[in-house]
Amino acid sequence: MQNNIHRQSGPCAALVVAVGFLCAGLVHSPRVLAQETGLEIRNASTRLDAGVWYLDARIDYRLNRDTLEALQNGIPLTFELQVELTQDRRWLPDEDVATLRQDFELSWQPLSRGYLVRNKNSGDQRAHTTLFAALNDLGRISDLPIIDAALVQDSEDYEVSLRAVLDQQQLPGPLRMLAFWDDDFTLESDWYRWDLRSGQLQ
Amino acid sequence: MTPRRGRSVRRYAKLAIIAAGLLMGIAALILLGRYASSIADFGRRHVALLAVNAIAAIVLLGLILINLFRLVKDYRRRAPGARLRARLVGMFVGLTLAPLLIVYFFALQFVNGGIDSWFDSDLEQELSSALRLGRESLEVQATSRLSQTGALAAAIGSLDGDALARALSVLRADAGAEELTVFTSGMRVAASSSRGDVLPPTLSEDARDELAQNQRFVALEPLGNARYQVRAAVLIPGDLPADTAGAAGRRYLQAVFPIGYRQGRLADAVQDTYTRYSELRFLREPLKDNLTLTLSLVLLLSLLSAATGAFYLARRLAAPIESLAAGTEAVAKGDFDTRLPPGAADEVGFLIESFNGMIERLGRAREESRVSQQQLERERANLATILGRLSTGVIAIGLDGRVRIANDAAGAILGVDLASPAGATLDSIAASGPLPAQFIDACRPHVASEQREWRGQIVLRADGVRRILNCASSPLPGDEAAGGAIVVFDDVTELLVAQREAAWGEVARRLAHEIKNPLTPIRLAAERIRRRYLPTMAQEDGQVLDRSTHTIVQQVEAMRDMVNAFSEYARAPAVSIASVDLGQLVREVAWLYRAQEGQPLVKLALEDGLEVDADAVRVRQLLHNLIRNAQEALEGQPDGVIEIATRSLPGGDRPLAEISITDNGPGIDADVLTRLFEPYVTSKKKGTGLGLAIVKKLVEEHGGTVVAENLPERGARLAVRLPVRAVVRDTLSDTRPVRVEPWRERA
Repeated sequence: MQNNIHRQSGPCAALVVAVGFLCAGLVHSPRVLAQETGLEIRNASTRLDAGVWYLDARIDYRLNRDTLEALQNGIPLTFELQVELTQDRRWLPDEDVATLRQDFELSWQPLSRGYLVRNKNSGDQRAHTTLFAALNDLGRISDLPIIDAALVQDSEDYEVSLRAVLDQQQLPGPLRMLAFWDDDFTLESDWYRWDLRSGQLQ
Repeated sequence: MTPRRGRSVRRYAKLAIIAAGLLMGIAALILLGRYASSIADFGRRHVALLAVNAIAAIVLLGLILINLFRLVKDYRRRAPGARLRARLVGMFVGLTLAPLLIVYFFALQFVNGGIDSWFDSDLEQELSSALRLGRESLEVQATSRLSQTGALAAAIGSLDGDALARALSVLRADAGAEELTVFTSGMRVAASSSRGDVLPPTLSEDARDELAQNQRFVALEPLGNARYQVRAAVLIPGDLPADTAGAAGRRYLQAVFPIGYRQGRLADAVQDTYTRYSELRFLREPLKDNLTLTLSLVLLLSLLSAATGAFYLARRLAAPIESLAAGTEAVAKGDFDTRLPPGAADEVGFLIESFNGMIERLGRAREESRVSQQQLERERANLATILGRLSTGVIAIGLDGRVRIANDAAGAILGVDLASPAGATLDSIAASGPLPAQFIDACRPHVASEQREWRGQIVLRADGVRRILNCASSPLPGDEAAGGAIVVFDDVTELLVAQREAAWGEVARRLAHEIKNPLTPIRLAAERIRRRYLPTMAQEDGQVLDRSTHTIVQQVEAMRDMVNAFSEYARAPAVSIASVDLGQLVREVAWLYRAQEGQPLVKLALEDGLEVDADAVRVRQLLHNLIRNAQEALEGQPDGVIEIATRSLPGGDRPLAEISITDNGPGIDADVLTRLFEPYVTSKKKGTGLGLAIVKKLVEEHGGTVVAENLPERGARLAVRLPVRAVVRDTLSDTRPVRVEPWRERA
């Protein structure tokens, strides 16, 4: 199997890498690479149904070469959907009302030559024969309950924030080390924010 | 906090930091070993571990940089021990670097080789084959299920409504399917039958696409826990009317068949193994990179720890040597109070102890030397004082003919300053005047010869000065630098004169005593003979008698005069000092010698108000003697002139008054001039020869001096100088105390 991620390595290069690690580790800060890696929230909305606020969203998952290669070599990718509901307050800092995390695992199945999308929170899984179908399935969020309407006051304004990220902590150790200073495994979308009731973007 | 306590705290802090760095390195190695055995664990805490090690490395690097900066600074300013420390640090780091690098490269090879050995092409091939086998086995089943689904679809045909629902239930049970669902062309469920309660059946997106293209779809779906199912979908032959089934009127049958648990488990095992192998293969290079990075970090940490330790050890090892160097430098600068702190119980400690002992002995020796030097200086100062106070001249002459030591008295006797030309040669001293020249000429043979032990009397003459010196020379012990001869000499001129004067005084006293007494009886006897026998004798005899007795009386008188003169010379009554107006006194005496027929003219040049502390009677006698001496010198000279002058001579703290008697006579013979004031030294036909001797004696009784000189053209001049203030003068002839009246200053 061809591996294009890693450059020629050797003892001397390793020393340089070690020193580089020392320096980079101090100044490292994750960059937002949504445009480059293709994680993008195309639209998202909330709706009230039977006393519960539900979230519907469409997210584009565009894997880069390195993540795709990792996926096809049997490494499952875990994407985390992060939903935050905050109350807008005029004079005080905004208050976090609710935080929701949904983990979806995308894995390659060599036996069936298909892809499996599994909701790690619910255990639901769906098999897909193509990556396109699997990513579409992954990016289609519908009827995700986020909060009981009773917990939301009518007189207050609330903001919903949504983003999707590749959870590096779920990567195998060596890749996680690599991801520490290499952006190839940094996949995350920008925060998508809108008003809970009006559905208008902030 | 005391400095010592502060140093101790700092030292322990440094030790703690170094120990922490080392422990971290060791912990990193242990954890690395543990994590390397499991890819799952590897990296779980790896970042944190590496971060901690990185911090430790930065701390150590900071320590090293601080130490290096100090070392470079010390090296540049050539601080004691800096070079040794630099060498030790270099050696320690070098010694550590070599084995560390060997272990590092060996470990790298080992790790890389170990990871590579996990992968085997045959194994990979076999795994692929196993996977393919499993897949094909399942695909055969799937194909079979697809065919079965096709048959079921044909059986359904154009059934609809309740008939379709019943048929589905029967067909599902007969076919052993989990689920049978009929979808319309709009992908809505027309009818469905399933075993148990399941979610509403759906047709997946890719199934729809596939159906749209090929009218059939089959897929193997994993359900987890080693369970699989086959999902198959086909177009149901036979169209329904468009009004009820949708636009196209087509229908699709989807069937879900379970796969046997045993088969599923085997297939799942093959897939898991293959997946793990693929994952491992994919992670091979990152794993190598991570291990290499970790090893490199450990190497870096070890190196930094070793370098920090090297600085610490070098400082500890060099500290006693630095202290020794600093102590040596201090001793070289003359600080013998330096004591080095005691070292450890090793060779260096012994060296420090020996050094301290040596410094103590050196300090003691130097102190003793200093005391000796001071003693020597004191002795030398004493000797110089003694030499300076000696009236005896002392000259030490080196083997090179140069004067090494000369006291003041030597210079005074010879009339040359011997103090200033230190190290002057004998020739240069000889060239400074006739007296030194004669002295050097007399001494040189004895000093230069091997027999430097010599004693003798030298008479020096020059310009009316006569000096008689008693000389003695002795060799000085020593070599070229210290050897030579020492010449000791006394000016005995005055002593000899005094001795002669004393002898003459004794003679005079005896003459006065022995001769004066019989003179009166002789005279009386002669006069008695004359008185008694002259009248009775014949005229001729009487004349003889008369002449004879007259001669006797006359000669006796003459002898009496002479004896009186001797008596005068020998007389030494008490001196009675009082303030005397010198001008007045001179006038009184000179008046007695005012010009008479056949007598020389006496001129006076007197300074008014000149008073001296003197015995007026003796000064008067002194003047008489001098004037008479001048008169005798001018005897038979019609134009004889005697000039008497007085003047004051400001002599600093010893002002003098001078009385000079100048005549225009024939002058004084050169032979007589040097001994003019000795008794019976005269060039005149008349006189006792005691006049000037008495003058000298009277002058010396007053602490004054008298000199005689010939005038350049004609005549002679005698000058008496008396101190204006009275001085006590012990003369050889008169050792009785002189009553001195206090000198009174006149307004």
